[in-house]
Amino acid sequence: MKAWLRGFWAVFEKDIKLELRARYAINMLLLFALGALVVMAFAVGPTPLSARVQAALLWTVLLFAAAVGLGRAFISEEERGTMLLLQLNLRPGAVYAGKLLVNFALLLALNLVAVGAFAVLLRVQVAWPGLLALTLVLGSIGLAGATTLLSALIARAAGGRGALLPVLLFPVLVPLLLSAVEATRSALLVAEGWAAATDELLTLVGFGGAVITAAVLLFDYIWLD
Amino acid sequence: MKLQALTDTAGIATPYDTIWATAAVPTKPPQGIERIMLAEDKLYVVLAVVLIIWFGLILFIFRTDRKLDRLERTLQERLPEANTGLSS
Amino acid sequence: MAETADIVNLRRYRLIRNAVFVWLTLVVLGAFLLRIPRIHILEHTARNLYFHVPMWFTLMAAALVSAYHSLRYLQSGDPVRDLRAREAARVGIVFGLLGLATGIVWSRFTWYLGTSLWWNFDPKQSFVLIQLLIYGAYFVLRSAVEDPEKRGRVAAVYNLFAFVTMPFLLYVLPRQMESLHPGAEGNPAFSDITHPIMRLVFYPAVIGFIGLFWVLYTQRVRLALLERRLEMRKATMLEAKS
Repeated sequence: MKAWLRGFWAVFEKDIKLELRARYAINMLLLFALGALVVMAFAVGPTPLSARVQAALLWTVLLFAAAVGLGRAFISEEERGTMLLLQLNLRPGAVYAGKLLVNFALLLALNLVAVGAFAVLLRVQVAWPGLLALTLVLGSIGLAGATTLLSALIARAAGGRGALLPVLLFPVLVPLLLSAVEATRSALLVAEGWAAATDELLTLVGFGGAVITAAVLLFDYIWLD
Repeated sequence: MKLQALTDTAGIATPYDTIWATAAVPTKPPQGIERIMLAEDKLYVVLAVVLIIWFGLILFIFRTDRKLDRLERTLQERLPEANTGLSS
Repeated sequence: MAETADIVNLRRYRLIRNAVFVWLTLVVLGAFLLRIPRIHILEHTARNLYFHVPMWFTLMAAALVSAYHSLRYLQSGDPVRDLRAREAARVGIVFGLLGLATGIVWSRFTWYLGTSLWWNFDPKQSFVLIQLLIYGAYFVLRSAVEDPEKRGRVAAVYNLFAFVTMPFLLYVLPRQMESLHPGAEGNPAFSDITHPIMRLVFYPAVIGFIGLFWVLYTQRVRLALLERRLEMRKATMLEAKS
């Protein structure tokens, strides 16, 4: 157990340090999200949008940003030749968990910036900020879980072809998207709030749990050759 | 279930008939393709559904057959070679 | 490599195939000849029950079969399992498309008369659409991997992962959308609108179409096994020559 934790922490630490030094993934995530939000703000114009549409736009941007920005988690290992090192020294579950935590941290950072830009550019009033924060965190768990597994899948096997990750990711994440959008909508409307969003929050928890459990079980099969 | 009760469909029209009583019925007379579809109490809608399924399946079976043909042709070409190529 | 006959029991296949054809012929006859109660708006289209709804059940059966074989492939590494998973997905796509097409035609000319509405935004319809996207992604993923063993494993992992999200999809979608389907918000339940006599044709229709899925799926499996034998024979011939 201790060895597992050490391995997991080692992967996490290594990637976070690399990330802080190069800032490649985080820059890509933030710039993509900001760019998309700006495009949307211009496209929508001054007309006020319904809460549902605002929530939908936010989560669409987050989903696309994750697909574009997190896809390289494993490709860099392939490129640098450190894949073998990881395979030999660590249990697959530890590698997955480490990468998962990195992606989750990146998504949290993305959420902060994206929501700020979103509120400003699309002129959104958030009635229940606590609920919004929880929705983002829970949604990011599921998002990170799925993205980490699928990016490993693509990197190990398909040589990381460009648009493959969104193609694989989006149909699988529809339940997450729908629940998150509904919960976000409840967070934006004064009349709704926590009571209206409980079902959606529970679904997000369940979905995140199921995704991570499935990913941990399935990761072994794509990690070891 | 008694057979008579099973086949007696005339008498039970009313209970099922009221279910969509509140649904909006269009007031314009049907135009174009709708005229065909609505004739005979919408029987042709059923025909369209059955034909879609039927032709969809036929298409799929034809595609499978074409692949089989290609395979058989390849095997024909290779069979004489196979007999001389293999050592045992 | 074993002959096809070792993997697919050909006598059983022929038996089931012939039985399915006879069975479905009877279903079609019954569907059109059996008198049904007149229902406002639906009228004769209620007979679509025998054809449109079984497409859904068949897609579900295909998804189960495909996921099952993906799981067994991961456990055993037997390439025939990967083959079976792939072909089940392929036939599942066919039935999914047929279900969507028939649903669109049925709803457009029954409830959406006089409107230009073709898409329902209905939970079941959306579910089938997403399943088709998932299987589409499955085949795209397969085509992106060269090595067959890796391809099988990668595809199986994705298939199972997507399968895990299916229950959530089934649960979440109905909460978000209204539906024309019975049993949903504001619609009478299935048993209310189907007179018991319709079940006489409906249950056999479901069984018949699932049987038809099995026939088409097994046919494709036989095809795939033949292709594989050919590939292996080519490989051994190249080896023998060198």
